[in-house]
Amino acid sequence: MGWILQGALALYAVGLLLSLVGFYRKRQLFITIALALVGCGFIAHTVFLTLLGFQRRHFPITSLPDSLCFLAWSLTLTFIAAYFRYKINALGAFVLPLVSALMVLSGTVWEENHAIPPLLQSRWIYFHTSVAFLAYAAFFLTFVSGVLYLIQENELKSKNFRFLYFRLPSLQVCDELLRFSLFAGFILMSLTIVTGAFWAQQAWGRFWSWDPKETASLMTWGIYLVLIHYRLSARWRGRRAAYISIVGFVSAVLTFSISLFKGLHTYL
Amino acid sequence: MNLALIGLNHKTAELDTRERASFHPEKLPEALRELVERPGIQETMIFSTCNRVELLSRVKNSAQGLESMEAFLREKSCIDGEQLREKLYRYSEQQAVRHVFRVASSLDSMILGEPQILGQVKSFYNVAVQAGTIGTYLNGLLQAAFHAAKRVRRETSIGEYSVSVSSAAVELARKIFGDLRGMSILIVGAGKMGKLAATHLRATGVRSVRVANRSPQAARELAAHFHGEAVPFEELTKWAARSEIVITSTGSYELLVDYARAQQIMQERKNTPIVFIDISVPRNVDPNVGTIDNVFYYDVDDLGAVVEANLQERRKEAALAEKIVEQEVDSFCARLHSLDMAPVVVELQTRIQEICQVELDRFFKKAGPRDPQERRELEVMISRIAGKIAHPLITQLRSTDHDPLQQAAYLDTLKRIFKLQKDSES
Repeated sequence: MGWILQGALALYAVGLLLSLVGFYRKRQLFITIALALVGCGFIAHTVFLTLLGFQRRHFPITSLPDSLCFLAWSLTLTFIAAYFRYKINALGAFVLPLVSALMVLSGTVWEENHAIPPLLQSRWIYFHTSVAFLAYAAFFLTFVSGVLYLIQENELKSKNFRFLYFRLPSLQVCDELLRFSLFAGFILMSLTIVTGAFWAQQAWGRFWSWDPKETASLMTWGIYLVLIHYRLSARWRGRRAAYISIVGFVSAVLTFSISLFKGLHTYL
Repeated sequence: MNLALIGLNHKTAELDTRERASFHPEKLPEALRELVERPGIQETMIFSTCNRVELLSRVKNSAQGLESMEAFLREKSCIDGEQLREKLYRYSEQQAVRHVFRVASSLDSMILGEPQILGQVKSFYNVAVQAGTIGTYLNGLLQAAFHAAKRVRRETSIGEYSVSVSSAAVELARKIFGDLRGMSILIVGAGKMGKLAATHLRATGVRSVRVANRSPQAARELAAHFHGEAVPFEELTKWAARSEIVITSTGSYELLVDYARAQQIMQERKNTPIVFIDISVPRNVDPNVGTIDNVFYYDVDDLGAVVEANLQERRKEAALAEKIVEQEVDSFCARLHSLDMAPVVVELQTRIQEICQVELDRFFKKAGPRDPQERRELEVMISRIAGKIAHPLITQLRSTDHDPLQQAAYLDTLKRIFKLQKDSES
């Protein structure tokens, strides 16, 4: 079964390579082929996760390598969705490196049969973790579109019509992707927190216990809430929104990784 | 190959000479018919635009063909022989093929990668087709040139970047707003450059064009030109706030939009992006407005910088295009050379022999045993018939030796009729 995952990784890696070449040479053909390969990789990845789930009779996200693998899957899913919605050719060159890196990392620390912690033997895991990972993936897109916005804005303001000016999408498209992924991520994050609270009530007897992960996710949620508030009131557009999206993402990374160190969530 | 080309273009001759050498469109068919009668010329076409005049012919031998074409051009243009000789370039065989391919792909154009050239080549080709001076040979060459040009368009982005100042404004607006449909433009002043930029923007399908001018009459006229709306000059701030793209192009010496006014505009726009394109000299908009969030400011020099950057990109793409052209030239020439007909001749003869032999065998089987003498005579007769059938076909094929393209077509027909080998190269 491992070969399916390796196949997916290989497809992602070639897709990444072609995306980079297509980005550098500005060729639609490369981008299209890259997308097709990533699509095939994604199907293989999905098949792998499904088979793994049946084999374990559990949602396959109960160890660190599992979650890295699932995060890569979520990122690819959001990447494909974003590409079809906004047709940003440069996106692959910025998202696929992380996907490939996560896959490699997951493969190196892979453990075939680990014991599933008793706490995770719950139905909540299906919903709570999948929306959480999709939220992270969406926020990563928010982050990427923010960075693309800032780079392109800098090119346009400094009147340096160089390499990136020709290759990055228009500010408007960056902004639309930022807004869309922001709203999607925020809704998913809210669902994550709510379902987490119910699960906590079942598992630990309390809805909220200020565990580091809970605290961090609340902070992240708060940052994005502020961003959404100002976006809706139209005061923060473009550059400021892009800056906040970066801050929000740093916080999201912290939230994701904090449970590796301490707190009730340490089984990650 | 028997191909020759002479010509002069923007690199070798100044406009004055090009004008005198050029052919009037109405006189072109006549000129073509005259040229094709000249010694050594078999097929010909003439290409004549403001940037180049070129004569391309299939010739009996290149030296004579070049000589005839030069004499023809000298007579028609009344340019002094010595002077003309200096400015002409002469190509034959593969070099001529390459030149035609490069011209069609816009690699030899004054503005590298400009897209009109392919259409022009096509229309001059059609004129020659109608005048009846083009045969299979030039036809094949031109088709291959069109193919090369299309490949260059498809596989490089040589034509993608705008290289005029006014279309650079459109490109910048696109980099900010993406799709320009639904945008509103405000044109301030009635300067020529502003009008030109607005024309380019209008072509992208913007929603509305508004015009403000100190003279209401001029504003109305310009607005009518763009099917837009004239707005009072005094309400500049209000209307600027309602537009995404503001083009200023007045003869005014004062700043129409200063920093404070731009801030006010941004407040009214709720901080949505706006582009100021200031084409007037002296400038009408304070360049510092570009430091305000979501305000983008470009003056004439900036537009020039975009054009320069775009030209740079085109030059990079041109290197790639040259490679494609080289591939196409090689494959075209290889196609001409590869038409070796010896195997086909042998096969054709064998095939006809076979058919006769089969019939003979059938006869022997049906008619019973024959004495050896009679049998031999019948065999000789059948073999002669086979030879007589094959002979005119092969003579005809040999007669096309000088014309590879016609020969290819003929070979192809023979192969199909007699169901010979499918692939000429196998």
